[in-house]
Amino acid sequence: MDTVPVEENGKSRREGTHLLVRAGEYACALPLASVRRVVRALTVHPLPGATAELEGLAEFGGEPLPVLNLGRLVHAPAGPNPTYPVTVVVWVGPAEAREMLGLAADSALEVVHVPAGSVVAGDGGFLLGEAPVGGEVVRVLNLEALGRAT
Amino acid sequence: MDVDSTLPAVRSGMRVASRQTGHHTENALIGWILVVGLTLLGFVLLSVGSPAGAPGWPRLLFLALGVAGVLAYGVWVFPYFRRLERRLPEGEERWARLEGELIAAFDQLGAGDLVRSIEKTRGLPERLAKISEAASESLSQLAQQIQDSSIEVASAADAVNEIASELASGSSEQAASVVEITAAMEELARTASQIAENASRQAELASRAEASGDAGSAAVFEAVTGVEEVQKRISAIASRADALGTRSKEIYRVLDLITEIAQETHILSLNAAIEAAAAGADGRRFSVVAEEVRHLAQRSQESVESVRNLLDEFSGSIRATIVATEEGSKEASRVLERSRAAAEAIEDLRRASGDTSRVARQISLATQQQNAASDEVVMTLREVSLVVQRMTGGLKNLSSTADRLNTLGLEIQLLAQSFHLASPRSLKHLVEEWARRLEAAPGEAEKGQALDEMVATAPFVELGYVSRLDGTTPLLSFNKDLLNERQRALANKVHETDVRTRPWFKSVSRHWRTTLIPPYESMQSSEACFTVCTPVRDAAGTITAVLGIDINVTGWTRI
Repeated sequence: MDTVPVEENGKSRREGTHLLVRAGEYACALPLASVRRVVRALTVHPLPGATAELEGLAEFGGEPLPVLNLGRLVHAPAGPNPTYPVTVVVWVGPAEAREMLGLAADSALEVVHVPAGSVVAGDGGFLLGEAPVGGEVVRVLNLEALGRAT
Repeated sequence: MDVDSTLPAVRSGMRVASRQTGHHTENALIGWILVVGLTLLGFVLLSVGSPAGAPGWPRLLFLALGVAGVLAYGVWVFPYFRRLERRLPEGEERWARLEGELIAAFDQLGAGDLVRSIEKTRGLPERLAKISEAASESLSQLAQQIQDSSIEVASAADAVNEIASELASGSSEQAASVVEITAAMEELARTASQIAENASRQAELASRAEASGDAGSAAVFEAVTGVEEVQKRISAIASRADALGTRSKEIYRVLDLITEIAQETHILSLNAAIEAAAAGADGRRFSVVAEEVRHLAQRSQESVESVRNLLDEFSGSIRATIVATEEGSKEASRVLERSRAAAEAIEDLRRASGDTSRVARQISLATQQQNAASDEVVMTLREVSLVVQRMTGGLKNLSSTADRLNTLGLEIQLLAQSFHLASPRSLKHLVEEWARRLEAAPGEAEKGQALDEMVATAPFVELGYVSRLDGTTPLLSFNKDLLNERQRALANKVHETDVRTRPWFKSVSRHWRTTLIPPYESMQSSEACFTVCTPVRDAAGTITAVLGIDINVTGWTRI
């Protein structure tokens, strides 16, 4: 696993720093700048008529927090039952109108650095691309695009 | 009585008497002359011998008496003799007739014909006839009694012979059975001896088994005690393993807690890293710490996993131990139960061995006593066998004696049957009765029918036949109960035979009297048989044929 190196240039480092989480069979890299908090899986209250990706609403910091299923978002095949599921609280959407959202993942792995050059272009939307990390291909996600989509 | 020698003597005496009667007149005359002479001589002697002067009246009286005697002799004696002489031929004729009748009666008596003997004496003087008739009657009764008694003797002897034969046969079978029983008893005695020996061995073995049972019982008791101890220890191990299992669960809970803390720490380190990244350059040092914390959390988690793995193995071992101790406890319980059952079984076996030993000794003693008793029984049976054998021999002798007695009875019967008696049991009487019926029948067909009827009424007659004097046999009748078809065919051969050569015909034609032929074996039935035959006459009294009947001895004795 490639751990987060200490960079002189904090900005550049921050731009390439991702939180690596597991969703089903896939490992997904979330931009660390968009990650607000990692918490143990929150209790989710399902919403009637919601889409398959929307698990429901949770309570975080006294506010309702919509929680999406990350595995369904990236269409990951189901993996083994997670021993310690987490909810990753992220900021989505553009910086001027960002919203806080919860992503339900099987586990939060570590903070890694994914060089921009190593990312093979994806669909240009939520799935920014794929990059090899520690011998495994991870899916690099664009949470701003997720905010636009939602 | 010897008739042949007596009758001539009687005849001679009668002739002598007759001759003496012819000289009576001469003798009377001589007697008269003698009386006259003696009277005159007496008178002369009285006259000469009388003294002188004696009275003369005694002489005259003597003379007068002498004259009176002479006159009386001439008046009474002489005429009597004259009359007697005149009746002499009539007396001779009467004596001759009496002689003939007496000879005929004795002749019939000599031939054994007591019926005709009595008939012949009816012309004799009444007293003589009565005496003769009484003698014949007595003889007839005697012969009748002998006939009856001989039949009874023969029948009784036959019955005794039959019974003795059956008893002899039964005794032989009994002797054989006694021999078999003796052999069986000897075998039983040998078997009893073997049983006694085996029982002694069994008693010895049972005693050993009882001793072994004692040792086994003690060993099993120790084993039970040991198994109970093992069970207790297994229970202690199980208890401790259970306690270990409980502790392992607590360790799992602790591990879960540590894991949770590690996860929380991990999340905390990630959040710290997030915060450090958000702090930019200021948070760089913090991010390092966060990374270290994350590493620590990760190592903690890895350690926890290692401990969990070890604890899994340990728990598996403990579970295996618990399972093993439970199974061991169960097995120990089963072993204990079986050991207790074995102890009870050994105890039962020990008691049974003791009982067996006692019973075997009793069996040995009883079989020894039985052996002795069997020996005594065998000895007794041998004595019984000897007695039975002697009895069998005695019965065979009795049978033989009875057989001889039967033969003797038949011989006596035949001797008695040689007399012709006025009795239906007299065969001569019977055959003469039959002959009279045949003589009374007018033609051959009627004679044949009469013969058939008579044979049918006499179950002891095998054959009845009438043979002419020329040797032919025109009439033949069978007893169908005594002769079968083949035997009758054999009997029919008499038609082809000249019977004049047969002994019975020769015998009857010798004197033409009813004759009884001694027993012989019947050509038809192959049984003892004898023949009685008698002449048959025509209306003029001329003998024209001979009637013969063959008497079956067995049938006759049954009658």
